[in-house]
Amino acid sequence: MKTPQLSRRQRALTNCAPINEERIRDRSMRAAVFRARSSSEFENQQSFDRALATLVRAIPIPPETAEWFSSKDLISPSKWTWKKTARNPVVLAIGIALAVIAGVFVFHFVGSLNDFPGSGTARKLLSIAGSTRSVVLDPVNADAGTLSDLFFLKHGLEHYDVPAEFADFRTIGCRVFEDDESQRIAQIWVVEKRMQFFLFPAERNVKTGAVLKFQGWRYVHQEGWVGAVTERNRVCFMVALRGREKDLAPYLAKAKQ
Amino acid sequence: MLGDSVKAQEVFHTTLREAALRAAHGELPNEPFWFFRDARWRCLEATKTELQAEPLEMEEQEITAAAGSQIERLEPRQLAIWISAAPEPQRTALALFYLDEFDYREIADLGELKLSELSRLLALGRRQFQAWLDATLPKSPTI
Repeated sequence: MKTPQLSRRQRALTNCAPINEERIRDRSMRAAVFRARSSSEFENQQSFDRALATLVRAIPIPPETAEWFSSKDLISPSKWTWKKTARNPVVLAIGIALAVIAGVFVFHFVGSLNDFPGSGTARKLLSIAGSTRSVVLDPVNADAGTLSDLFFLKHGLEHYDVPAEFADFRTIGCRVFEDDESQRIAQIWVVEKRMQFFLFPAERNVKTGAVLKFQGWRYVHQEGWVGAVTERNRVCFMVALRGREKDLAPYLAKAKQ
Repeated sequence: MLGDSVKAQEVFHTTLREAALRAAHGELPNEPFWFFRDARWRCLEATKTELQAEPLEMEEQEITAAAGSQIERLEPRQLAIWISAAPEPQRTALALFYLDEFDYREIADLGELKLSELSRLLALGRRQFQAWLDATLPKSPTI
């Protein structure tokens, strides 16, 4: 084998050539090794180095020292605990976010449990009840039950009847208006606890047009107001007052009797 | 580096203990190979107090193709003793080179050597070891 011409630096590099060529990381070393590879001198050096490295690997390591290089980690990873995981800011943030999402879902779910056909309209009307001033109503001093005829004769509203249990309540005023869905709503203000009655068309099935009926009284809440809704003859009646369910309950108990 | 497993173990444990203490105090150096540099320094310290070999002119021989088979007949401990008996910084250069864990620049850095020095020390070490091999283990007869 011919000896290649190597520069002084290349000769220096080949003397330091790694035992395993895969370890060559720089171009100058790779070039030097490539040039020297054809020489027997370099070949002898490589086999000499490989033999010595093999022997070095066979040098016994005392068991006490070898323990440090066992398959076990020098520093065992800290044990996984719920407490530690819970304190992790990322886990904490995700936990809070999930709790908020879960809370919103539960809130909507619980809300939907109380939903009934017409509950959406009823809530909107509770908002209206909260913002209505008596001046916007036509003053009427009569028994609430007598207004059915007025609604029918003057406005053509059929079955807009105040249930018998609320029929004797004296009225302050009433009006008929259209809501944002062009439904005609009758609003009555009574003296008793400044309650308000609302009569509005019962909700219908969008596809079939059939009235969605429900039994008994159903509560709705909105902005500090509470309403109890019942459906009769395709018309919903809602009694509303500012307060809580317990304020309305005595009137509904009478209604049941 | 030391040619003595007990001493090596002592140096290893001291280095490790010191590293653990520095880690506990958050004082670990921000440079690669500080651990090996530290271990090397401790090895040099450990041998400083020992009897030093007299500097003598060692024979040199060109590496031969038969070197591989000669080395195969060696005991690993013989090699460890031979390297540990080499003068500094040749000992560091040979020990680190034949560990086959570092490239030449890393060895030069750890041994505080220039490339030309490292090259000379390795080449010299090979030739001296070959001479020692020839003297200790005569070449197998070729058929």
